[in-house]
Amino acid sequence: MKIKPKFTISTKKINGWITFIILLIAAVISVFPFFWMVVGSTNTSADVTMGTMSFGSALKVNWNNLVEKASLLRIFWNTAKTTLIYTFLSVLICSMAGYGFEKYRSKSRNLLYNVFLISMMIPFASQMIPLFKMMNKLKLMDTHTAIILPTLAMPFLIFFFRQSFISFPTEIIEASRIDGANELRIFFSLVLPPMRATFAAGFIYSFMKQWNNYLWPLIVLQSNEQKTFTLLLSSLSSAYFVDYGQLMLAIVLATLPILIVFLTMQKHFVTGIVGSSK
Amino acid sequence: MKKRFIALTLVVALLITALTGCKAEKPAPDSSGNAKNENNESNNDSTDTSEPTTLTVWAWDDNYNIPIMQLAGEYYAKENPNVSVEVISLAKEDVYTKMQTGLSAGGTGLPDIVLLEDYVSAKYLQTFKGSFADLTDKVDYSNFLPFKIDAVSNSGRAYGVPLDTGASILFYRTDLIQEAGYTDADMQDMTWEQFIEIGKAVKDKTGSYMIVEMAANKTTLLRSMMQSVGKWYFDSNGEISIVDNVALEKGFALIKDMKDAGILYEAEGTGDRAGVLNNGTVASIVNGPWMASTIKAATDQSGLWRIASTPRFSDVEGAVNASNLGGSSWYVFESSKNKDIAADLLNKVYANSTEYYEDIMLAHACVSGYIPALSGPAFETEDEYFGGQKIYQIFADTLAKVPGVNYGGYVAEANDAITAAFAGVLSGDTEIKAALEAADAQLKNQLGR
Repeated sequence: MKIKPKFTISTKKINGWITFIILLIAAVISVFPFFWMVVGSTNTSADVTMGTMSFGSALKVNWNNLVEKASLLRIFWNTAKTTLIYTFLSVLICSMAGYGFEKYRSKSRNLLYNVFLISMMIPFASQMIPLFKMMNKLKLMDTHTAIILPTLAMPFLIFFFRQSFISFPTEIIEASRIDGANELRIFFSLVLPPMRATFAAGFIYSFMKQWNNYLWPLIVLQSNEQKTFTLLLSSLSSAYFVDYGQLMLAIVLATLPILIVFLTMQKHFVTGIVGSSK
Repeated sequence: MKKRFIALTLVVALLITALTGCKAEKPAPDSSGNAKNENNESNNDSTDTSEPTTLTVWAWDDNYNIPIMQLAGEYYAKENPNVSVEVISLAKEDVYTKMQTGLSAGGTGLPDIVLLEDYVSAKYLQTFKGSFADLTDKVDYSNFLPFKIDAVSNSGRAYGVPLDTGASILFYRTDLIQEAGYTDADMQDMTWEQFIEIGKAVKDKTGSYMIVEMAANKTTLLRSMMQSVGKWYFDSNGEISIVDNVALEKGFALIKDMKDAGILYEAEGTGDRAGVLNNGTVASIVNGPWMASTIKAATDQSGLWRIASTPRFSDVEGAVNASNLGGSSWYVFESSKNKDIAADLLNKVYANSTEYYEDIMLAHACVSGYIPALSGPAFETEDEYFGGQKIYQIFADTLAKVPGVNYGGYVAEANDAITAAFAGVLSGDTEIKAALEAADAQLKNQLGR
C-alpha cells in the first residue's frame, strides 16, 4: 500500500513533463514564424532566401526601399481607419442584433435567425459581382465606405453574441424595465458592463477580420491613395525579382497592430470565447 | 483598467468616425481623384488631348512594369502635356481578379489600359469578346517580332501592344563548369544530351546540382523546350495538342534523365530557387532575362556567372538554341472613355520610339519585341557581373530565332495538368505516353472541350 501513492505522484510528474514538452514544441512552432519574420526584416533578400537565422544589418536599406515604394503612412492610416470604424460599428450592430434575437420574444424570431445562419454558407466569392455592381450604382467605388458597409452585419458575430447573451439573466432586464429604464439604457448600462469579455472577443474577431480583409478591398478600391496594407503586401510579393527583406519588413509593420490588440485583449478573448459556450 | 481600455478604444473609434467618416465617401482629394471625375463627365471619344486627361493603368511589379509605364507616360506628355498616366500597382493575380470582376459586371470599374501576360491574354480576349479595343488599325505593327504579334492577336485582329519578351537563356556558374573540366565554349549552342553530360561532371567534381526547376510547377523547362521547336500545349487553331506533342514527350524524358542522374534540384518556391542560385547549390538555370536580377542579388559572385543560349533537342526537326518564356503586352478596354488617347500613347511610345526602349532596357533590363530597338549602342553594354558579356546582344540574338506559337490563353491550366501528370513520370510510376494522355484528359475536362 505504500508504493501506490508514490506511483501516482510519479505518473503525475511524468504527465506534467509530457504536457510541458508538447506545449513547448507547440509554442516553438507558433513563435518561429514571428521570429523568422523579424529576423528577415533585418536581412537582405539574398540572405532571407538562403535561410539566414541571425539578425542582419539591412533593416535601414529595407526601410528606405519600402518607404520609396509606398506611402506607408497613408496606407497605415487607410487600414487603421477602415478597421476601427468597421470594428466599432459591426460590434455595435451585431451585439444588439444578438441581444434582440435572444431576449425579445417573437414568433418569427427563429425563422429570421435561421435565415441569418444559412447566409453564413454563401461564399463571398459568389456575392462579389452583384456587390460590385451595387457599389458601382451607389457611386461608392474606390471609397472606404464600400469596404465597411457590405459586411457590417456578420452572421457569425450575431451568432456569437446571441450564444453569450443566453447566460445573461432575463430577470434583471425585466426588473429594470419595471424600474422604468428604456431599452437602450438597459443594453448599454446593464447588459454591456458585465459582458465586457464577450465584447472584447467580438472586438478582436472583427478587428482581425477587417485588418486582414483582402479580396473585397482589392476588388472595390481603385486608386493608390485608398490602398490598404493587405493590397500593399500582395503587390510587393508579385514581382520578377521579389525583395524578401523589404517584404518581411512590410509584414512586420502590418502584423504589429494585430499583435498589440491581441496581446492586450487576449485574456478577455479567451474568457469571452469560453463564456459563450456555457 | 480593462474597462478603461475598452472605453478608450470605443471613444477613439467614435472620434475617427466623426472626423473622417464623411471624408471616405468622396474620392481622394488629389489630382488623380479630380482627374478621374473629369474623365467620367467628359464623354470625348477622340484623341483630342486639349482637356486634362489621366490614363489609369493596372500593372504589377514596382521595380519593372510600374516605372516602365510611368516613363511611357512621361514620354507621351512631352507632346501631349495635358495627358498624365497613373499606374496602379497590383499583384499579377490581383490584376486578373479585378479585371474579371469588372468585365463580369459589364465593363465597370476598369482602368484605361491593363497589362496582361501573353500566356493568359487569349483566355480573356475569347471570354469577353468586344471588351478589348481593336488596335489593328490604330497601332503600327510593322516593326514588332512576328511571334509577339501572334501573341497579341485573336482571330486575325491585334488587341495588344507588346511590352517585353522572355528570351530563354541559360545562366551558369563558369567557375563550377571549369572545375568540372569544361570551358565556356562547351556551353554554347549545345544539345540537352551534352548539357546532361556536363551536369554529371559538375555533380561529381563540385557536388553542386546542374539545374534548378520548381518542384510544384515543373514547366519552365518544358515550355522553353516546346517553343524552341514551334510546339505548344495548343496548336495554331487553339486546340489542345498534348498527346501527340513530340516536344513534351522528349522533354519529359530529358527531365527524367536529369532527375535520375541526380543533377536536378527541385526548388520549393521562388524563394528557395533564389537561395540555391545565390549560395552555389545549383550551377545553372534556364529562365528569362529577368532572372539576372535574382542572380545579381548575390553581390559576392560577381564575375562568376555567364549566360549562353538554351540547349536544344538533338533529334527533333527544326530545333533551335532559342526559345521564349512569357512576356506581357498592354491592352486597352473598349469601355474606356479615353481609349483613343490610350491607343495613341501605345502607338506613339511603344510602336515608334527606339529611344524609349533603350531607356527601359538599360534601366530595367526590359528586352522588348520591337525590332528597331533590338540593336544599337545600348546592346554594346558589357555586364561586369557576367564577366563583361554583352548580355543584351545575346538576348536579342536569341529573340530573332524564336519560333512563333499560339499560346492559347489557358497556359496556367495546361501547366497544372502537365505538372500533375509529370509527377508520376519522375517517380517512375507512369509511362510518358500514359502521362500525356492523363494530362490531355484533365485539361479537356477542365476546359470543357
